[in-house]
Amino acid sequence: MYVMHNSEYPLSCFALFENGPCLIADTNFDVLMVKLKGFFQSAKASKIETRGTRYQYCDFLVKVGTVTMGPSARGISVEVEYGPCVVASDCWSLLLEFLQSFLGSHTPGAPAVFGNRHDAVYGPADTMVQYMELFNKIRKQQQVPVAGIR
Amino acid sequence: MADVINVSVNLEAFSQAISAIQALRSSVSRVFDCLKDGMRNKETLEGREKAFIAHFQDNLHSVNRDLNELERLSNLVGKPSENHPLHNSGLLSLDPVQDKTPLYSQLLQAYKWSNKYHAGLASGLLNQQSLKRSANQMGVSAKRRPKAQPTTLVLPPQYVDDVISRIDRMFPEMSIHLSRPNGTSAMLLVTLGKVLKVIVVMRSLFIDRTIVKGYNENVYTEDGKLDIWSKSNYQVFQKVTDHATTALLHYQLPQMPDVVVRSFMTWLRSYIKLFQAPCQRCGKFLQDGLPPTWRDFRTLEAFHDTCRQ
Repeated sequence: MYVMHNSEYPLSCFALFENGPCLIADTNFDVLMVKLKGFFQSAKASKIETRGTRYQYCDFLVKVGTVTMGPSARGISVEVEYGPCVVASDCWSLLLEFLQSFLGSHTPGAPAVFGNRHDAVYGPADTMVQYMELFNKIRKQQQVPVAGIR
Repeated sequence: MADVINVSVNLEAFSQAISAIQALRSSVSRVFDCLKDGMRNKETLEGREKAFIAHFQDNLHSVNRDLNELERLSNLVGKPSENHPLHNSGLLSLDPVQDKTPLYSQLLQAYKWSNKYHAGLASGLLNQQSLKRSANQMGVSAKRRPKAQPTTLVLPPQYVDDVISRIDRMFPEMSIHLSRPNGTSAMLLVTLGKVLKVIVVMRSLFIDRTIVKGYNENVYTEDGKLDIWSKSNYQVFQKVTDHATTALLHYQLPQMPDVVVRSFMTWLRSYIKLFQAPCQRCGKFLQDGLPPTWRDFRTLEAFHDTCRQ
């Protein structure tokens, strides 16, 4: 289980399983987990975080950050969010065009999150799932820093 | 000629009046000086009081005299001539510094220009696009107007409800919710799929205003009432709001307002593919960060705002 925080939602804490449910809780969830320390074994993996700047262009939100694990930098993450649209599959072509304008050949394919449910409303949990997948990918790659893009 | 003579007489009385004012001022200040100095030192109290009162009275008399003189002179000076053909704007022409502030000449030029254009070209152009959407005729005199003219501005609310519910059933992906929180004018909340929400304020069956907001945006105020004033947070929907306002002015048919509402809703329904349809002219999705927000009024094709013909 992963516990994640997102600065876009400062009062929330996300707890997610791979291919499993995602829990959105209050920030006190961290404290709760500390209290429950005796009941589970925490993995030895160190904390991964990405820090960077946040840009706004028209209705697009672009966040470019450096992914660091401990003291070492592991890669670059770029997040693009299109605010007005709530159904993920609708605006993929629009997002793709926007990404291509500044990423060129590095544009990724459609994220797996989109494929599952066609008309479901996109939520913050989906963002966290994508981040989790990205961080796992970076963790698996040992030393060579790669650009992980979603 | 008579004007010149008139002016010279006034001037003399004017200068006399000014000196009379000066005399009046000095006599008034003498009165106050006398009061300030108080009683002079004399042998007996009575003597002192008498001398003071006599002095005070003298000063007051001189004030009176000067005031009467001034009044007489002011009647002689007279008023400036009242037959001013230019009224208030003519007072601007009395400005002595004409080259630094040529207000009057500029005013005359502006007036002549606006007269010329209003009488000629502007009236033709401005009256071409009549935006009167109701069936009431204002220009017809009371005698010629038939007595029992049916007006589309006053319709029973039940009729409006029926029309709206019929349109609601017409389109499956569009749902219309009608409420009347402020009197008789209907307010519709139209939800189009999962794309957008539109608040339509109506006046009997005429559409007055629309506000377009995103699907996840809040359309209610803190009291729970429909918020008809605040704009959307997203630029896309602000643009679509502008287009919707253009559309409600475009679809006009004064005698059959229900057809108008139906065509407006049909036009609005084309926005279900707001984020999926590329522009028909340039083929791209984004232009300045905006998707194609314009829908043609006849063909309902998607265009960017800058790409439309």
